[in-house]
Amino acid sequence: MNRSAMQWLFEPPSIRDMAPGTKLIVYAILTFWTAFVLFPIYWVLITSFKSAIDVNSGPVYLPFVDFQPSLHAWKELFVFDFWDTLSAYMNSLIIALSATAASVIIGSMASYALARFEYQPRFGVVFMFVLVMIGAFVAVGRYGVDWRISCAVGVAVFYFLARALGRHFKARLSNGDILFWMISQRILAPIVVVVPIYMMFQQVSLLDTHIAIILTYTVINLPIVIWLMYDFFTSIPIDLEECAQLDGATRFGVFWDIVLPLSRSGLAATTLLVMILSWNEYLLALFLSTSRAQTMPILVAAMNAGERGILWWSMSVVIIVMIIPVVILAIILQRYISKGLLLGAVKG
Amino acid sequence: MTVVLDAVSKSFGNVKVLHELSLEVQDGEFLVLLGASGSGKSTALRMIAGLETVSGGRISISGRDVTDQLPKNRDVAMVFQSYALYPHKTVAENIGYPLKIRRLNRTEIESQVRDVAAQVRIDELLERYPRELSGGQRQRVALARAMVRRPSVFLMDEPLSNLDAKLRGHMRAELKHMQHELGITTIYVTHDQIEAMTLAHRVALLEGGRLQQLAAPKTIYEDPENLFVAQFIGSPPMNVAHGRLDAGTFVIGEDRVATGGTETVANAVLGLRAEDCQVVAPEDGAIRAQLFANELIGDHTLVTAKIGDDMVSIKAPKEFEAGFDEAIGIAFETDKLYLFDKDTGARIRRS
Repeated sequence: MNRSAMQWLFEPPSIRDMAPGTKLIVYAILTFWTAFVLFPIYWVLITSFKSAIDVNSGPVYLPFVDFQPSLHAWKELFVFDFWDTLSAYMNSLIIALSATAASVIIGSMASYALARFEYQPRFGVVFMFVLVMIGAFVAVGRYGVDWRISCAVGVAVFYFLARALGRHFKARLSNGDILFWMISQRILAPIVVVVPIYMMFQQVSLLDTHIAIILTYTVINLPIVIWLMYDFFTSIPIDLEECAQLDGATRFGVFWDIVLPLSRSGLAATTLLVMILSWNEYLLALFLSTSRAQTMPILVAAMNAGERGILWWSMSVVIIVMIIPVVILAIILQRYISKGLLLGAVKG
Repeated sequence: MTVVLDAVSKSFGNVKVLHELSLEVQDGEFLVLLGASGSGKSTALRMIAGLETVSGGRISISGRDVTDQLPKNRDVAMVFQSYALYPHKTVAENIGYPLKIRRLNRTEIESQVRDVAAQVRIDELLERYPRELSGGQRQRVALARAMVRRPSVFLMDEPLSNLDAKLRGHMRAELKHMQHELGITTIYVTHDQIEAMTLAHRVALLEGGRLQQLAAPKTIYEDPENLFVAQFIGSPPMNVAHGRLDAGTFVIGEDRVATGGTETVANAVLGLRAEDCQVVAPEDGAIRAQLFANELIGDHTLVTAKIGDDMVSIKAPKEFEAGFDEAIGIAFETDKLYLFDKDTGARIRRS
């Protein structure tokens, strides 16, 4: 039992080693905290069974004691408005699952590439590309040039400029710069980009479709996936991958057979996070959907904008059904979130 | 299968780590690349494996130019210093992985895995995971995985350096026996000269990215090409004493040693193996020295003495006894001494 001063100060001993009195206090605090965390869920659950009078005439806490639960809110959403609820629910499921799958698949491959290959684009060439592209956009927007012509000319100009001048630029960007550039996409508040995104999808007539929202969610979640997975991939010993290459695996085979199984706890955590983010997203969905592609968060918000005031009971019902898939996913994925996967791979 | 390196070089940025290395490994040969860390030996091995690109020169395996081939198309197997076992696969799956990639059917894989596992005596461990194995067992699994697909060439990157000393000696003997039995061309990288001397058919000694000498262990010990090789090989390393060579006579302090040659070199080095020297009375020795320390090793006594500023080691009989700072003489046969040019490090061979 050689505990350093720092450990004594900051690391509690195991709860099993504690004196009964201390144990009691610890459990009391834990119980309080559990209640604190679970209370909102309990509150939402009982509210979904309350009638308008129960809600408005002061807080009531216990069903059958304080108030008589009724199924009127559930009936309203699942019998009278069944098709609206189902449509929003399906929209949410399709959009969240597709966006999560797309961003995890694309993002993990991108982040593996960043973790294992060295990219050294010349700063001057990248800068030139941005300048040429701005020129192309200005030509389209300001002078009405056809966008195909503008893009083709832009690419050609960039190609020849890069070939002619590329060698003279000495400064190079590295993987770290690329990674930072990607995460910097998330620094911008979504409200800033929502109008351009809206106009873009309006141009291509994709407003109020699944594909528009899926694409948007995928793009905004990619930086998170890349950033999180980068850490997991770099922690895999490179020897394992080199060994697999020598054993005869292709680059993709190495990724599939070795890298993915070893980073599955990271993948599970990332998937869960991205899923929750897309499932709960409100702002972009509000702009990009009007009726057909409406998602659950929009439905929740709609409960508080009707002429009948805030429909707490209906809102609670929607919230309850919204929580269920996330809880199921969390239960499925949490068994993959384990430690010690890399034990025994390499000595040391 | 033969492996041929033709003027292979490697640079990382502006740093050249390997200078035009050329060597030819014969079919079934056990070649050891020996060198200190940073000598370029691991880089050379990784280039043969295809894990590093080649900056210049060509590499061919079994007569086929593989310089620009991917690792998987070179038909080489490698044992890593870290073993690099797949932690999420069982021992059987680890060993069978190269076969699985080659799409062998399951019964075939199972029987081959069992054969190879029996060869390295890990057949009871097939269902375990790498984390449940000891260092020596992991080593065997790594070896079995390399053996299972009968590659043209074995590459080994310091495979024994993570084992404890006792196990290392044991595995060394096993490796040697196994290589002889399988008859597969093996290129083995190590910094341990004893490993190199005991295992190799031929040793390639690298330093500063340059090949110093490529020869059989006996030759490299008895006939070193230059001062570096002489001092790298042998335990204790070859003794050196600095002086000058005056028309075939080596002058060191007040002592003059006839070398049997006729050369004159201003800065010369005299080399002597510890076992070729005898400790004698000061007036009987060719060189006078001062005793620094003597250590009883068991079967002999290792005497350390000072010749001017140079420390030398001499193997004396175990009965030898002398006090500190006592004056002694060192005797040796003229044909056992080596001469080097201090400025170039090159061997001066007596004409």
